[in-house]
Amino acid sequence: MIIEILNLIFIFFTSVITIYLIRHYVFTLTVLKQSKTNKASNTNPSLRYEPTVSILIPAHNEENVIGKLLDKMTQLSYPKNKLEVIMVDDASSDNTGKIAEEYTKLYKFIKVLHRGSRIGGKGKASALNAGFKHSTGEIVLCFDADYLPHSDIVKKLVEKFADPNVGAVQGRPVVLNEPHNMVTRLIALERIGGYRVDQEARDILGLIPQFGGTVGGFRRSILESLGGFDESMLTEDTDLTFQVYLAGYKIRYVGDAECYEEAVDTWKAYWRQRHRWARGHMQVCFKHAFNVLRSKKMKLKEKIDGLLLLHIYFMPILTLLSFFTGSLLILNGSSIAGALWFTVPVSFYSFVGNYAPFFEVGVGAYLDGRRRIQWLTPLLIFAFLYNMLICTKAFFDVLAGKLVGSTKSDWEKTEHSGNGNRYI
Amino acid sequence: MKTLNRIVSLSFLEAIILCLIASFRLINLQSTVTLLIFNILFVSLIFQLNGSVLKKIFMLTAGNIVGLFLNLIFYYFSLAGYDYFGVVFNAFYTLIYPILNLMWIVPFWSLSLGFLPKEQEAIRQAKD
Repeated sequence: MIIEILNLIFIFFTSVITIYLIRHYVFTLTVLKQSKTNKASNTNPSLRYEPTVSILIPAHNEENVIGKLLDKMTQLSYPKNKLEVIMVDDASSDNTGKIAEEYTKLYKFIKVLHRGSRIGGKGKASALNAGFKHSTGEIVLCFDADYLPHSDIVKKLVEKFADPNVGAVQGRPVVLNEPHNMVTRLIALERIGGYRVDQEARDILGLIPQFGGTVGGFRRSILESLGGFDESMLTEDTDLTFQVYLAGYKIRYVGDAECYEEAVDTWKAYWRQRHRWARGHMQVCFKHAFNVLRSKKMKLKEKIDGLLLLHIYFMPILTLLSFFTGSLLILNGSSIAGALWFTVPVSFYSFVGNYAPFFEVGVGAYLDGRRRIQWLTPLLIFAFLYNMLICTKAFFDVLAGKLVGSTKSDWEKTEHSGNGNRYI
Repeated sequence: MKTLNRIVSLSFLEAIILCLIASFRLINLQSTVTLLIFNILFVSLIFQLNGSVLKKIFMLTAGNIVGLFLNLIFYYFSLAGYDYFGVVFNAFYTLIYPILNLMWIVPFWSLSLGFLPKEQEAIRQAKD
């Protein structure tokens, strides 16, 4: 009886894994088909849509990188009379605020909002809300302090809002410090799989491209109607993604709106960052899964993709459980488990945040014109095994948070050194 | 030149079919299915990328030969294991079999991509 139940559980687990693998196979085929049209850009240079734009930069102790980002802001090609940059100095104890003040003296469109430790320091969502209150632009873009955008990024991102159904846009982050070490190389590979294939395919197929909280933006009216960012969420970006779709709008991905980012460069920092992402994503899943199912404004394909996206950080846990269940069944001589077992190891060669399997990552790297980075694809297995632990801990933390009723939010900041660049 | 290319391509295709038959006759159905999965992934994805068909068929053939050779080793490993440890080893082998196969499929897949001309190079070649 127990073996039969375990067999059913294992069949369920492997079915879910197979659904995800098929989904990403379809994504890969979609992007390959699209690339054959040789469409170099998905932006429209002839379109002249120039609304007022506010750029929010939440920063907490970012003295190593903030100057470089503000330099890039001064080089933006977007008309300066329609642009404002608001740097939120959120309870920084270093020179972040002072550096930003120097720029405000030289450039009128750059403003600094200082938040002391009494009202500030409550996390990125809180800092963004504070900046949002002071902003005036019709479109609000967000950049993290370690990002370095191209000069034409605002135009590329903003032109998608010419369509009134678009509620938010997302550009493409590219890892700047890729050659630094193995961690940064693997993150670069992950970004390629996630953005060059995953986000692009979701945009082409009319599914749910995800707003990543940086290198992207949203329509002011939508965030106002939603009452700002939810400060109890660790990943306010994923939360906003679903809020936008539940409100009946869509998100567009702009692949050629590239922006360079500094990836974490130690396994410890990787753990901290991914743990936050996993916890936040799970919080959003608990908050929105039923709303997505019940929504009358979302199409069926958006609901299906939305639910798969919401559960993506549960996949490493499910794979771990499948591994143990399958092993137990095979040792007991189950032929069903033996036949379905191959799906479990395939998952080991996937990236967690987007569940991009090895073939998706490889094709993404190729389409990006990369020749050697895909040779690291076999190493995905170590990143996945590491993420199994991260996501399992995150799951128990979310459960504990739910039991205790904790909604405390704080800056869970990634340290940025401002070193290393591959492109600039 | 075209005729020569076709003849070489056909020889490679023949080699792939022979590998599949050999895997079924010399090893077992599992190894044939593994090679088929590798072929499906390779044909449906890598064949859509830039580069000559001949080069891709060559890489596919090389993959099949490598796969057949490794599966033969795995098979004899399983027979030896069964001899020493009995039925328990069969269960253990079922568990590690797909992992062992992915250990050649994923690197072979990644290496193959590196041998194709870059996306930008292919566009430039097409323009020329």
